[in-house]
Amino acid sequence: MTIQARHPHLLRLTDPPVILGHRCTSCSRVAFPPDPYGCEQCGSSCEDLEELDLEARGTVHAVATVHRHHRPYPTTPFTVAVIELSGGPVIKAIVAGSQVGVGAEVEGVLVQDLEDTEGNTLVDLQFQVVQ
Amino acid sequence: MSETNLLRDRPVYVVGIGLHQYQRRSETTYVELGITAARSALRDAGITWPDVQAAYTGTALLGMGSSRIMLSRLGATGIPMTQVENASASGSSAVAQACLEVASGRSDVVLALGVDKPRGGLGAAPGQAGIENLENGTVVPFTHFALLASEYMHLHGVTAEQVAKVAFKNHRNGASNQYAQRQKVRSMEEILAEPISGAMTRLQCCPVGEGAAAAVIASEEGIRHLDLDRSRAVRINASVTRTEALYGAGVGIDAALTAETGEAAFNQAGIEPSDVDVLEVHDAFAIEELLYAEALGLCPPGEAASLIESGEFDIGGRCALSPSGGLLAMGHPIGPTGTGQVVEVTRQLRGEAGGRQHQGARIGLTHMVGIGAVCVVHVLSRD
Repeated sequence: MTIQARHPHLLRLTDPPVILGHRCTSCSRVAFPPDPYGCEQCGSSCEDLEELDLEARGTVHAVATVHRHHRPYPTTPFTVAVIELSGGPVIKAIVAGSQVGVGAEVEGVLVQDLEDTEGNTLVDLQFQVVQ
Repeated sequence: MSETNLLRDRPVYVVGIGLHQYQRRSETTYVELGITAARSALRDAGITWPDVQAAYTGTALLGMGSSRIMLSRLGATGIPMTQVENASASGSSAVAQACLEVASGRSDVVLALGVDKPRGGLGAAPGQAGIENLENGTVVPFTHFALLASEYMHLHGVTAEQVAKVAFKNHRNGASNQYAQRQKVRSMEEILAEPISGAMTRLQCCPVGEGAAAAVIASEEGIRHLDLDRSRAVRINASVTRTEALYGAGVGIDAALTAETGEAAFNQAGIEPSDVDVLEVHDAFAIEELLYAEALGLCPPGEAASLIESGEFDIGGRCALSPSGGLLAMGHPIGPTGTGQVVEVTRQLRGEAGGRQHQGARIGLTHMVGIGAVCVVHVLSRD
């Protein structure tokens, strides 16, 4: 049994976990997710995009508790948030618990991905309110 | 590079409109849906199919090659036919292509048709772009817009009940639209029941069913040649399509894209936002109507909710917003929706909207956004 990231191109399984973005060496734009094709700001090709570590920490801009979902996992209700990472990019991710509000500081935690059926432990990133 | 204003120099008109009711998915074939709307539009224009020189079919879900098998049942005249796909704005883009064809002088009479039948799932290409994200499919459209609702309510001190009043108004408008998928006046209690995601409840999310909408687009020459009723012709003053640009981290793309596209359309038409009497906007989710009313410049940011509450955007108010019932009540069968907006605004500007007529309507606007993201705005007017 091995431990794998559900999204190995997006995450580094360290403690605390690291989110992988990119920085354009031509125009300096920082973006998430890392792009395999090119820079949306200056049009440089992917060879000009370098991997960039982003701290899995940020501020919540919006939250929604989801009551209907088309897949068995995650089980409803779950809460999704818009998070502005301390490194700049804005992402959407699941936040554990329903107590998170707009303006909350959150940090990333690795959780076991319940959709895994292959016998491996697949982990994914969620966020939680910074205590 | 210069930019010509084709629609100013070569006037283009809507001369005929027709619909097949928007409805839940049924056994009715898309061919039946499409030709019902097309025949109705030809009858409304007072022309016959051989008068039509080209056709554009807005559809996103039917698969390839849908037009000829359908429209040849009006007579296999051999005219050019092209499918137009632009996600939720497909029907708007069919109108845009018809406008361009007529304004260019290539044709004098063109059919723009929107038709679709959902087959389960939207099959959107961005999901196959090979660009991973952390969302794992948890942020479907209703949650995307629930998150925008959360941000809007927090920023402007607006309540979930105020957002829900958009749906209250649009369900009431849809109740007097015989072509609407939802034709029931709903109480606030009903609208606030059945949570889906965040502040969005079932009745604040549009139904995606099936249907068809058609508009016959003609030039001055076409109107003269076919001796059409000029008093019922509605001019298209602007047709603008834009795609998402970069707006800065955290800026809502749907509203920013709408603001850009709307501004370009107002400039092309030579009007101000305050000149518009009727608008059909992409209210797939209740929060969107507030965002777009503000992005289109009808009111300052944060004020749309209280203006909805005080009836300013009702039929008979300052301007009528989603008089058809909008996507929330009339429905959102994808391909037809954008063409159907042009049908409703034409009906309003002609003064033929019956029980939901906004009196004295002279200038109208249609607005769709679609996955990608794309935005298409048309401005229409009567003399």
